[in-house]
This record gives sequence, structure tokens and C-alpha cells, in this order.
Amino acid sequence: MFNFKIIFKGLGFLLIVESIAMAIAMVVSFLYGEPDSNAFIIASGVSLAVGLTTLLATRKASKEMGKREGFVLVSLVWVVFSIFGSIPYLLSGAIPNITDAFFETMSGFTTTGSSILNNIEELPHGILFWRSITQWLGGMGIIVLSLAILPIFGIGGMQLYMAEVPGPSPDKISPKIRQTAKTLWGIYLLFTATETILLFLGGMSFFDAICHSFTTMATGGFSTKQASIAHWNSPFIQYVIILFMLFAGTNFSLSYCALQGKFRKVFKDEEFKYYLIFILGFLILIFVGLLITSGLRVENAFRSALFQVVSIITTTGYVTTDYLLWHPTLIVLIFTLFFFGGSAGSTGGGIKIMRIVILMKNSYYELKRMVHPNAIIPVRFNKHTVDSKIVTNVLAFFIIYFLIFILSTIIFTFIEPDLESSMGAVATCLGNIGPGIGNVGPAETFSHIPAGGKWFLSFLMLLGRLELFTVLVLFSVSFWKD
Amino acid sequence: MKVVIAGAGEVGTHLATMLTNEKHDIVLLDDSPEKLAKINREVDLLTITGSAHSFQDLKDTGIGKSDLFIAVTPFEERNVLACSMANYLGVGRTIARINNSEYLKPRYREKLDNLGINELIYPESLAAKEIVASIKQTGTRQLIEFSNGKLILLGIKIRDNAPILNKTFQEVSLINEGIRAVAINRENQTIIPNGQDYVKDGDIVFFITTRANQQTVFDLSGKKPFGVKNIMILGGSRIAQKTVEKLGDQYRIKIIESNLERCKKIADRFENVLVINGDGRSLELLKEEGVEKMDAFVAVTGNSETNVLSCHLAKTSGVKRTIAEVENLAFMSIAESMDIGSIVNKKLIAASYIYRFTLNAEISNVKCLTASDAEVFEFIAKSNAKITQKQVKDLDFPEEASIGGYIRGNQGYVADGETQISEGDKVVVFTLPSGISKLEKYFK
Repeated sequence: MFNFKIIFKGLGFLLIVESIAMAIAMVVSFLYGEPDSNAFIIASGVSLAVGLTTLLATRKASKEMGKREGFVLVSLVWVVFSIFGSIPYLLSGAIPNITDAFFETMSGFTTTGSSILNNIEELPHGILFWRSITQWLGGMGIIVLSLAILPIFGIGGMQLYMAEVPGPSPDKISPKIRQTAKTLWGIYLLFTATETILLFLGGMSFFDAICHSFTTMATGGFSTKQASIAHWNSPFIQYVIILFMLFAGTNFSLSYCALQGKFRKVFKDEEFKYYLIFILGFLILIFVGLLITSGLRVENAFRSALFQVVSIITTTGYVTTDYLLWHPTLIVLIFTLFFFGGSAGSTGGGIKIMRIVILMKNSYYELKRMVHPNAIIPVRFNKHTVDSKIVTNVLAFFIIYFLIFILSTIIFTFIEPDLESSMGAVATCLGNIGPGIGNVGPAETFSHIPAGGKWFLSFLMLLGRLELFTVLVLFSVSFWKD
Repeated sequence: MKVVIAGAGEVGTHLATMLTNEKHDIVLLDDSPEKLAKINREVDLLTITGSAHSFQDLKDTGIGKSDLFIAVTPFEERNVLACSMANYLGVGRTIARINNSEYLKPRYREKLDNLGINELIYPESLAAKEIVASIKQTGTRQLIEFSNGKLILLGIKIRDNAPILNKTFQEVSLINEGIRAVAINRENQTIIPNGQDYVKDGDIVFFITTRANQQTVFDLSGKKPFGVKNIMILGGSRIAQKTVEKLGDQYRIKIIESNLERCKKIADRFENVLVINGDGRSLELLKEEGVEKMDAFVAVTGNSETNVLSCHLAKTSGVKRTIAEVENLAFMSIAESMDIGSIVNKKLIAASYIYRFTLNAEISNVKCLTASDAEVFEFIAKSNAKITQKQVKDLDFPEEASIGGYIRGNQGYVADGETQISEGDKVVVFTLPSGISKLEKYFK
């Protein structure tokens, strides 16, 4: 029997969490004495009322949560959060159109960072803060946050955790799921606070520093300025953001090890090693390319290449320069990075380094197996054999990812009859990155895309954030058949 | 409490599940990722793939900061070595599962302790002990002795010939002061009865009493103990061998085992036992070997289904005492309703035994009532413990638990409302699983 009650109970609890987040944004708008505080009072009140009503109606729900309930709950939470999260934009008049408001909120919670706003600097502080906080909540995960603070999910907790945390096999760092979630959020908070201080010292206003820390650590990419990080012409700020994007794209379990002083374990980690190798490789290619093709000075070219590479591979999506003005080869290199993504267990989106490495190893061993047909050659990762189930899972993920990419591009060309822009928009939303190529490049926004296209891209963002399977399984026949 | 368990076999996973439900932090170590993946999906614990006797893998479990290390892999040497290593790495206490009764001898205990092995557990031996106790004590479903028999617990199935049928528990305790019914199992549910509850046909009633009043209990429940002479044991497992060893020479024992090599081994080891090579599931074989003439029938093959079915067969053939080993936990309640006599479960016995080490209060004995989900604890009342301050009826004791009796000095007493527990008493307490955590504070 499908337990709908527990799903609504979970949604009720989480809506209350969202209303608290709105209340924080409300405080910010009060502090600046701006008129948008009314929008937050209403939005927060509505979320709280709906949450409490749902809770009351389902208070007798059994705590039994099966696999299927878990998938439905996790997928629904992100949709419901985006619906309620768009209320402040609508009420304050910052984004008067429902489609645009939903797109902006979904882009926030899924930490994509694609925006439809062309007038960011004119918006009140409360709204800007809300934009950043949606990314911050979505980065580490709404479910993970609720696991840390609310003891509502019993045994089903692990199920939900696995459905939300990125990577082929999420691991725990302490025996209890609740403690694990708490530790992860603790590290997240610590990084965010440290970055805020550094950015503040680097010359940002305190408000901008907080907002940018929120969106850096979430690998989101929303900025409080139209020109993104390029607004501050400060190498220090750029290097600080590069560093924290790197942290955000690293598995948080590794950060935990590092904070405990176990650096050897960090540097022995295979995913981390490849993460750095990929970054270094693309950095060198683009850095040299920039030196040859553009007239930039060495430091400038290096910083520009590094910032863009790290920003795209971690799926953050900040920009300091319009990479579409670069030489076409360099643009292709940047576009290739759209398909990498951060590490498993990080806040980054995309395919994830771990999957790419497993995939490449398996493909390479396939050649070896051709020569030695009887050889047993297991795929090894971190010195352990990767279970063949996981290898199959990774292969399936990769194939589905590209199928969705191609199908979506085809569909999208009907809406936006330009191949480059379609590929860019689909890849950036599916990978939760932010800027694309073509007419959705760093210098432009998504505002000119027709309404249907925005809904479609919002769905792709959700697919990407929950790593395809959690959402797609809801569309399979076997899921609903008993 | 932080507990590291090495070995995700039957005992290990059962323990891990039970302790996790008690809110302990569990790390489970095993070299099979498949086994770990399964439990990881179902239970909120941390699993680590690795070897129980690798320093690095043990370190990865955070053993240095753990309170308890339990090695329950199938290999004795590995368990012993792992405990020794864990102790070296700084764990609070170690428990090793063994297959060799030599280690249990008091004179070697100190040596093992020096090696860092603090406690030993031998599940097969514990199970055999229970089997022997139920063979010797006919008429009962379960017999547990406290402090060498100063108090005993008898679990008895009440049938329609019992004089206490349809009497309230209050009336029962008025008949004889030395008897107290502490728990009943009715239709697979365990109830801690109050005075107004009735005894019904088909109940399994757990009485606490002293040796002297034991006969009264049998009279009340309409049981006539009978002598056991002929025993048939199905399966030549370690439990079977241990049982034969503990039974001694005064019985005529037949063992039926399908593996020829094992038959030879058993025949070599026990001179006075008749070993028969054959499949115990065959009705003809059982009849040929005269199952109906047996006084007791023990089924301890590795297969729970075989054990349950053959016991049922033996029971219908007229064997009065049947005991089945049922390892599949989901089976236990079905087995209970099938009229197959006593049930032993190695996992539950082992888990109960280990369980005491995770409690803060001082405990000298823990037993699980196999026919129900209740547990029996033998707590030691410390000075100034809450339990010693008031009479039992004024204690506001948890509803899920009841005090059965206590042992003071050399004498066992059955408790009632007026009982006053004093320092140093060993108190026998019955509780449903939900009451365990509430009990600790009474004895600290």
C-alpha cells in the first residue's frame, strides 16, 4: 500500500523549514527598510500555514517509509519548495510573471544559477538575499538539512539521503544518519562563514559577501550584480572564490577528513586526484590558448582561465569574463567541461568526477579484455574493486544523461531555433551550471526564452540535481505497478 | 555507546540491528560488500568493508574511541586475534565469539584477558545448554536458572487440563507465596500481566519460583514431569555435538546426519551415541529408527524448515518433548503456533548474552524468552540505587516491566508488592524491549 500520508507529513515539515528561511530573508529586508518585507511576511505565513495544516491532517501517519515513498517525497519536495519559493518574487513584483518566478526559484534550489533577471542591481536586498539562500539550502540538500534538524524520518532516512546526495554510492561519516547530516551541514556552515569573512576583507560589502558565500558553497552561481564576479575587479576576491568553489566541488567527507588533520587520506583519494588533474589539464590548455589567441597578460590569462575552468567544472557558473568571445577551440573546451561536474558527495552538479573516472577505466579495461579474453580485470577505485552493479549503474547513468541531452536539444530547437543556444541551454540546466553558450552565454540571461522553454528547462534542472534516477523512476511503469 | 561489530553474519547483523534500535552508534565491519550493502539499506549504521584482523581497517572504524568491540566472524582465530588488536588500539572492552570450550575454563581466562580478550561468547554452547535444560526439565517450554538455581523461571504452556485455567493472576499468587507469574505469551504477543488478568487455554505462562515450590507450579498447570531416556537428535551440527557432550552418559542418544564424513567424526568422538547416516526429512527413516518410542526429539540441522517440520512430525507421532532450532527469525512466530514444543535460536541467545555489556547498570545475567519477545535481566542493585529506596509497589516501575524475584545472600525470594530491595541484591526483572532503557536508571 502506497503511504501518501507520510509523504505529505514530510512535505508539511519541510514547508515549515522553508517558511523559516523566508523569515530570515524578511529580517534582511526589514533591516534595509525596503518595501519587499511585506511579500516575505505573506510568503512565510502562507508556507507556515500550509505546512502546519498538512501536518495536522497527517499527524497519525505511520512512520513506515518504503523506497517508493522516498523517491516520491524527495522529488516532490523540490517542486513544492520551488512553488512556494516563488511567492516572494511574485508578491514583491521583482518577477511579476509566474513562469519566470518558478524558473528563477528552481534555478536557485537546484543550484543551477541560470537567471531571467536583467536588472539584478535594482532589486531590493531581501529578494537578493532570498535568491542566494535558495541556492544555499539546495546546495547541501533540503532533505539532508531536515535529517540533521528534524527527527521525523525513521528508518527511511537512509533511503532519502541516498536519493538526494549526489554520487553513485553516498557514504556516511558516522554511524547515525542524523549525525552524518549534522556534520555535513556543520562543515558547510564553517566554509560559508570563512568565505564570508575573506570576501568582506577583500572589499565586498558584508551583504554581498554573505550572498556570494552562500552561492559559492552551493556551487550555485547567483550573484548580486549583473556582471557577476567581474563587477569587483579584484584578483583577491577572485582567488578566494576559486578556492571555495574548489572546496564546494570536493566530497564533503574528504573535507571532514582534512579538518580532522587526515591529509594523507585526502591526497590518496582517487576522485580528488582526478578532480585536480582534470582542472589542471583544462587550465593549461585554456591558459596557453588564451596566451596565444588573446592579448592578455600572463597573470590575467592565468586567472581568467583558472576562474572559468573551476567555475564550470564545479557547476557554479560565476563568470569573470565572457568566454564566448574566446577562440572557438577554447569555447569547445569550456563546453566539454559542462559534462564533468563536481565530486560525488559535493554540492556540485553534472555527471560527477567519480562516474567519469569509473567510466574511463572501464572503457580502457574493455580494450585490455579484447586482448586477454579470459582475464579477470575488475574496475578499481580507491584501491577497492568497484561492485559490478555500480559500474552498470554508472554506464546507465551516462547513457541516460546523453540521451536526455540529445532528446532535450531536439525538443528545444523547436522552442529556440538555434542549435548552439539549444545545446548550451540544455547542457547548462541539466548540469546545474548556469551560463550556457549561444544566446544564453555569460553575457546574456534566460529572459528571452519562451515560457514553454522555461518550464522545460526547470524540469531538466530538477532531473540534474537529483541525478536522473530519483525523478525518472517515478515515470517508470514498474514503479506504480504493485 | 559506540560499538564496533566485526562480522556481518547472522549473529552480527542481528546484534547490529538490535543495538541500533536501542540508539547505540554501530559500526559494522565485514569483508563482504554485498552483505554490508544489504544491511546498510535497512538499518541506520555505518558499514566498513575490511578485514577484522587488519590494523588499518580496525582503525578506520574509529575503534580507539569506541566502547565495545564484538568479534563474531565465523572464525575463532580471527575473532581472538581481532579482539587482541582492538584492545591494543584502545577499545573499551572486547568480546570474541569462540568455538572451543577450552577457552571458557577459568584458569585460562586470565591469560586471555592479558591478550586483550575480555569476554567470550560461544553461541553453540549456550544453545546446547538451553536444549539440555529443556530435556532435563520436562513439562516446561523454557527453564532459566538464576544464581545457580536459587531462583528459577519456568515457561509453561497451559492446556485445558490445568487447574489454574481461567483464574486471575492474583488468585494464583494467593495459592502459594513462592510463585509469581511474571509474563504471558498469548497469540504471539507478550503481556506483562496485572493481578486482574485471566489465564487462558493456550497461554505460555512464565512463572518465577524457587526449587522448593517448583512442584506446585507443575501441579497448578497440570503437568506431570516424566523421565527422559531415549533422545533422537536430528543433525550433527556443532550444537548437536555440544548437546551430547553436556547431556552425559545416562541417556540413549541417536543422531541422524546426512553427511557421511560428519557422521564418522561424531561416531569417533562419542562412543555411546548411535550415529545414523541418512536424511532426516525422510519419514520412513524416522519411523524405522523408532521416532515414536523417543522421549525427546531435538532438531538442530542447519535448516530451520527441516527442524520445524520434523519436530511437528515427531510431536504427531507421540514424542512428548520436542525442541527445534529455528534460526530464521521470521519463522519463530509461525513455529510457535505450529505446536512443535520448545524453540531455540542461537542468534537471540547470543545477542541477549552480549546485550548486557551495552547497558550501564551492573547486570549479571540476561536471557531472552524464546517463546516471546520479552527479556529477563538479573540486575545487581547498587548502593543508593533508586530501586533500593522504596517498596516495590511504590516504585512507579515501568508498565512494560515487572520484578520477578531477588536473590539475597544464598537464598532466592519471589517478589511481591511489599518487597524491599536492598543493596547487593540480585534482582530478576522481566521487560518488554521497549522498557529496557527505562530500567537502567532504577539500578544505577
